[in-house]
Amino acid sequence: MPQRLIAAVVAALLVGVAGCGGSDEAADNTFKLWHFEGPDSAMGTAWAEAIKQFEASHPGVKVAFEEKGFEQIQKTGSLAVNSKDAPDLLEYPKGNATAGLLSKQGLLTDLSDEVAQRGWDKKLGPGVDTTARYDERGVMGSGQWFGIPNYAEYITVYYNKDMFDRQGLALPTTLDQLTAAMDRFVAAGITPLATAGQEYPAQQVLYQLALTKADRGWVDRYQRYTGDVDFHDTAWTYGATTFADWVRKGYLSRDSAGLKAEDMGLAFMQGKNPIMVSGTWWYGRLRAQVKDFQWVSARWPGMTAGSSGNMWVVPKAAKHKQYALDFIDITLSPAVQDKLRDAGGVAVAPGAAPAADPAIRQLNDDYRALRDADQLAFYPDWPVPGYYDVQVQAVQKLITGDADPRQVLDELAGPYREHVASIGK
Amino acid sequence: MRAVRERGSYLLYLAPGALLVLAVVLVPFGMNVGISFTEWSGVGEPEWTGLDNYGRLLSDGTFWASFRHNLALVVAMAVLPTLAGLVVAATLVDYIGKHFGARQAAVLRACVYLPQVLPIAVAGIVWSWILAPKDGALNAALRALGLEALARNWLGDPDLALWSLMGVLLWMQLGYPVVIFMAGMSRLDPALHEAAELDGASWWGRFRHVTVPGLRPEIFVVLLTCTIAALKVFAPIYVLTRGGPAGATNVPAYYSFQNFFERTRVGYGAAIATVLTVLVLVLTAVFLRVQQRGER
Amino acid sequence: MRRHAVLWSMVVLAVAMLVPFVIVVLNAVKTPAEYATGGPLELPEGVSLDGVIAFWDRVDFGEKLLNSAIISGSVAVLAVVVSVCNAYALGIGRVRGRTWVLVVFLTANTLPQEALVYPLYYLADAIGLYDTKLAVIIVFTAIQSAFGTYLLTSTLSGFPRELLDAARIDGASKWQALVRVVVPISKPTLGVLFVFFFIWTWNEFFLPLVLLISNENQTVPVALGVLQGQRLMDATMTSASALLGVVPAIAFFLLFQRALTRGITAGAVK
Repeated sequence: MPQRLIAAVVAALLVGVAGCGGSDEAADNTFKLWHFEGPDSAMGTAWAEAIKQFEASHPGVKVAFEEKGFEQIQKTGSLAVNSKDAPDLLEYPKGNATAGLLSKQGLLTDLSDEVAQRGWDKKLGPGVDTTARYDERGVMGSGQWFGIPNYAEYITVYYNKDMFDRQGLALPTTLDQLTAAMDRFVAAGITPLATAGQEYPAQQVLYQLALTKADRGWVDRYQRYTGDVDFHDTAWTYGATTFADWVRKGYLSRDSAGLKAEDMGLAFMQGKNPIMVSGTWWYGRLRAQVKDFQWVSARWPGMTAGSSGNMWVVPKAAKHKQYALDFIDITLSPAVQDKLRDAGGVAVAPGAAPAADPAIRQLNDDYRALRDADQLAFYPDWPVPGYYDVQVQAVQKLITGDADPRQVLDELAGPYREHVASIGK
Repeated sequence: MRAVRERGSYLLYLAPGALLVLAVVLVPFGMNVGISFTEWSGVGEPEWTGLDNYGRLLSDGTFWASFRHNLALVVAMAVLPTLAGLVVAATLVDYIGKHFGARQAAVLRACVYLPQVLPIAVAGIVWSWILAPKDGALNAALRALGLEALARNWLGDPDLALWSLMGVLLWMQLGYPVVIFMAGMSRLDPALHEAAELDGASWWGRFRHVTVPGLRPEIFVVLLTCTIAALKVFAPIYVLTRGGPAGATNVPAYYSFQNFFERTRVGYGAAIATVLTVLVLVLTAVFLRVQQRGER
Repeated sequence: MRRHAVLWSMVVLAVAMLVPFVIVVLNAVKTPAEYATGGPLELPEGVSLDGVIAFWDRVDFGEKLLNSAIISGSVAVLAVVVSVCNAYALGIGRVRGRTWVLVVFLTANTLPQEALVYPLYYLADAIGLYDTKLAVIIVFTAIQSAFGTYLLTSTLSGFPRELLDAARIDGASKWQALVRVVVPISKPTLGVLFVFFFIWTWNEFFLPLVLLISNENQTVPVALGVLQGQRLMDATMTSASALLGVVPAIAFFLLFQRALTRGITAGAVK
């Protein structure tokens, strides 16, 4: 009796493991689409519209859309793309460590022919394709097209205009004016710069400072391995020492070592700090939630971190590549791009008419100017997989005073060298 | 002869569990050990590198530092909750339960256990609000009490972050031993307690000489499982500090995760996980030996 | 007097344990604008359920609850059954080499999950179980029952022999002894195990995140995690999600209280 029961349990387990797992086979006319933008974000709104248009132009095709989380895709997206259940199209983070890695491993569809045929490269214009093309080593900037960006992003400076007015300060346009303004705030007992050391903001500030002494060649050497990188050259040294100075002078609080990006955004939105140096991805939220003061976004003097946004990629295992390509085409149409722009995003292929809202026009014009002058410098954590954490830890030490600029740059140099040595293997 | 047959039939009861552990743990772990001898980015073909990863581990300062931090977390997640849990459980059962009623004891126990129920993602958000340097609840409370001087950057200061983390883990962990010990105390014979009481033993004396020895099996279980949990601790670190500031709260489990999913150095991550596992196994074996001696 | 001092110290402890939950509730009923101006600790002006409703709709929370309930419930039941069978053989049957068997079982519980992720993914994909609830149920039944085996073996090894001998003299088989003698007497511990397994599985995040990629199979914590780690995280929605994550767990806990309370009354009666 008991033996029989136990045998039955064992058998049931074996049967369970052996199969009968897959529930429903994807219906033949389903277009499986994933992205990780919130429904209220500029991208989310624009892509909801694109789905509508796709359904109208593809009668009988069901769009199975799933909203994912950024971390979910960043960490486990490669597993999904590699499995039998891969989607037909998904949004994927750009850069060597993410899309580059997948392309190198042959998990993504090469879109180069489509790009030429449908004229997507013309639509996107120069400079945006850097993050869309990867060579056989998975290094961006040349080779085949593996992703299609829909939007762009860059680091800008947000000013709380009311707080500047109260100090009788004009909005800065140069780095010197910026530091002078920050001195004034410190003298008035206000910490001027909102930032966060536990996530991306602080490392981007250091990078921005280094970029003021950099040029395109410097960026290419660092981001695309086109030559040797010296972490103690003028630009890096200036970036790290100036950042340390800013901490010492009280431009940013030592407390920010333990803050997250969300805390930085809140501090700015609550009017605690008058300045925030961060990405255009904050733009829509500031527009929606800041009610009690005037704010503006202004260009960082010189080169700035930024690039195309995350991209559409088509897994090798996708069952309906045609649908995926048609959908990308729709997202690049002027109607959808304008919708993205008017919701507070930076469009890569907008229509001819400029935005109605002057602030949004400014945001998009700044991007055009940066792109045309070739001043977008990607992000500091891109060159090495897992570099993000290295940067976070190193810059935290600068904020807490646990390391001097020289030591911090050494800390950044180690993993970089190690990675460059292993490339092409 | 008969004894052998007996053993045999008992073995049948082990079959389903053994099969599960083989399929879900032993085989995958074997694969993991295999991966640790390779250089691999998670998809595509692994490249055999032999003992390279282990060689690199030995000279990796981050790895050794992460073990040191882990010892502190063992104190916070195993030693302290066990001691505190014993006192709380005993107080609830034979003090509150006796003098005020079982219902009150049950309600209090529910409150203490609740943090165990909280999804860790949520706990992370809440604690980062409480411990925030500027407008965090803890610093705000200190200021309200006029103790401004004690306000700190709890998670952002490398010297303090580990202590703050220990506090949070203690909060999370306490409910588990309390519930186990309270269940265990229902096994104990009340007559022993009454005899001790008649002998004039104080509450504390009864606690030391009756309750604690009676709960020995549970104490072992709690200590061991909490120690293992502490050595594997990952989620609280992920949501609260990401191993920072400046590496002050990195632990092996998080370090291996970083290598798996952020640096895409799966081989190296597998090596870290393997070393950690071996360490835990050795510890477990030692624990069980000691426990069996105690039983004899 | 002293009695009340003890009671109050316990009450203070309980309140300290509950403070974070209060903060979750406070923020879940704020509007984003209130949160943006006042931060997490200001009292809300009124109760706004917009965040909760928005989150519910955004992730189809009802479906996630059902998935979590199916997975946690199955794991809790199966893992208790497997644990009892194992512990019966090890604790009462005293199978030879049981220390080593225990160590092997404990490995299941000791392995850092990070170490199992890639192999489990490949195995699941190979046998067609990737992205199915069954895969997660099997994995967690193994992991939880390993713990249960250890706990029950410890308590059963002290099981009164005379009870078993009495059953045997009555002509009961091993199976009958297990079902009629061992299980009823261990009920309080089994109840506690059931609760632990349910709640642990309910709160598991990492393996479900990797093994359940499509939204229709997702569990509650994974759905909560979808909002986290976004570059922009709206804190009120996060608290709303937190509230929705806590409520079911507390509800189950209250349901399970009965199982746990038996232990207390047994000690307090007489």
